[in-house]
Amino acid sequence: MSEVLNVAKVKAKRTRKKSRLPLIIGGTITGVMILIGIISVFWIPMDVNVSDPSIRMLPIGTAHHLFGTDYLGRDVSSMLMTGIRTSIIIGSCAAFLALFIGTILGMLAASISKLDEPIMRMADIFMAMPGIIFALVLASTIGAGYLTTIFALTSFFTPAFVRVTRASSMRVLSEDYISVARLYGRGRMFITFRHVLPNISSILIVQFTIYFAAGVLSEAGLSFLGVGINRPSVSLGMMLHEAVEQIGITDPLNVWPGLCIVILVIGLNLLGDGLRDHFDPRFSQRVR
Amino acid sequence: MGRFILRRLVFFVITLLTTSVLIFTLIRAAGGNVAAILLGKNSSYEEIHKLSTELGLERPLPVQYFEWMNNFLHGNLGQAFRSKQLASHLIWTQAPVSVPLSLGGFLLAIIIAIPLGTYAAKNFNKPSGAFVAVISQVGIAVPVFWAGLLLSLVFGVHLHILPTGGWVPWNESIVGALRSLALPVFTLGIVMASTLTRYTRTAILDVMNEDFVRTARASGMSRRVALIKVGLRNASLPLVTVLGLLAAEMVGGTVIIEKVYSLPGISRMILDNVTAREVVVVQSTVMVIVIYVMTVNLIIDLAYGILDPRIRVGK
Repeated sequence: MSEVLNVAKVKAKRTRKKSRLPLIIGGTITGVMILIGIISVFWIPMDVNVSDPSIRMLPIGTAHHLFGTDYLGRDVSSMLMTGIRTSIIIGSCAAFLALFIGTILGMLAASISKLDEPIMRMADIFMAMPGIIFALVLASTIGAGYLTTIFALTSFFTPAFVRVTRASSMRVLSEDYISVARLYGRGRMFITFRHVLPNISSILIVQFTIYFAAGVLSEAGLSFLGVGINRPSVSLGMMLHEAVEQIGITDPLNVWPGLCIVILVIGLNLLGDGLRDHFDPRFSQRVR
Repeated sequence: MGRFILRRLVFFVITLLTTSVLIFTLIRAAGGNVAAILLGKNSSYEEIHKLSTELGLERPLPVQYFEWMNNFLHGNLGQAFRSKQLASHLIWTQAPVSVPLSLGGFLLAIIIAIPLGTYAAKNFNKPSGAFVAVISQVGIAVPVFWAGLLLSLVFGVHLHILPTGGWVPWNESIVGALRSLALPVFTLGIVMASTLTRYTRTAILDVMNEDFVRTARASGMSRRVALIKVGLRNASLPLVTVLGLLAAEMVGGTVIIEKVYSLPGISRMILDNVTAREVVVVQSTVMVIVIYVMTVNLIIDLAYGILDPRIRVGK
């Protein structure tokens, strides 16, 4: 009997350890990337907009220019650092705004039945909209830049948050303790903030991480099209845009910005997965 | 079943109407004075006023909206202010590039992802299943344009198998057109497939432990047959949502990929007209794209409604 128990314990330990791995790797990658972004605010090797034609297209590993220089002789490592910062700022801001608006709308839809249909149908409509096209039009009408990009991304991330918040709030609202709280005379606001919000926060955090990653990818796409971030700001997608426009697909600089995006997004997605397993062990068990 | 189809159709129409209002407001209200932009910075007030009246831009926005919608529904998508080209003609010339690209990528993604996701779920505790899961995880993180750049570098520049970009019209050479579409479709397909594989895997894993799969197994089906016959069909509910989202992503991906492979498709047309402030053309083109995405969505919805009775009843 004790042997069986021991085996069960070892097994449980093993799965637990396994499910922690994404959290650790994802957390580390994200942490390092954020650190690079923070450092870039205070220090970068060189000004990202100062060009020096005498040192054009230096290869990677050159002294003073770790990642080489681009077609105008600008320092690539500085641009990468700044680009990572841009990605993080835009991705997190868009995801956060979507989280904020989406949570409010989702909870309204869940707790006030009159608002449920209109809010959800609106969310459906926004969800079916091709986001990039919308962002494209938006960028051209009100001008490309940080704020436009964040606004465009927020408007097509919000519906996902509305849906998730509504669904999980509904589940919480159907619990017995909510009925008890109601019988006790607690108001709607109290129940929402005291019971619903804390209970759905873990789901929202996971969702936030996933859309943070989506924001990084979308920003890169928009900047690659030339309607996202432009000089004097620097973004990873914009670096690729410049490299392709000026040199073509054989430009060795095509590798680094893309790789940075991939690493950052993998880090965030792993972090999201890890957090989900961490908050909700039932989920990983069921999968098993 | 009839009610289900009717409900979907009503929602389809309402969505399109709402979207049209949204597009119109966004482009017109946020865009500033169209006539002034068209004439450039050095134009006088009289000139701007004259052009505005000529183009009917002076009238109230709702009137302009209804006129646009009325024309749109009658097949008149408007024309460019400057070049006088018809929007419908412009769209018609881009469609042979963009439609095969987007639909091809979408279908390829489904063809790759559904079996692969099912395989990964079936072998979730084996290295091969984990490998698929890891690959799809990485694939999700790859921006579609970067995948395009790398693929055209490998297949175009190094291996010389396929062109790195450019377009051969269908009527010139069908093989040429197919060749210039091959890499773009492949790129779009595998990038979308990674997302879809992951969702398929999760959806199948979710139903794998359900009672009905156990019953199917008990009734003598092998694990594989039970998964494909019972599991996949039941996993379709969450997959509908994902496919719907992918339909929107498909268009976004197409726009970016056309840029990577310099294809003369919808992306170039929108970018050109957006910079030239051809508002009517942009409005109508975006509307056509939205209709396209919604139609794909509608077809997916209806197809799954036939497959899965639960969707018909309405979740």
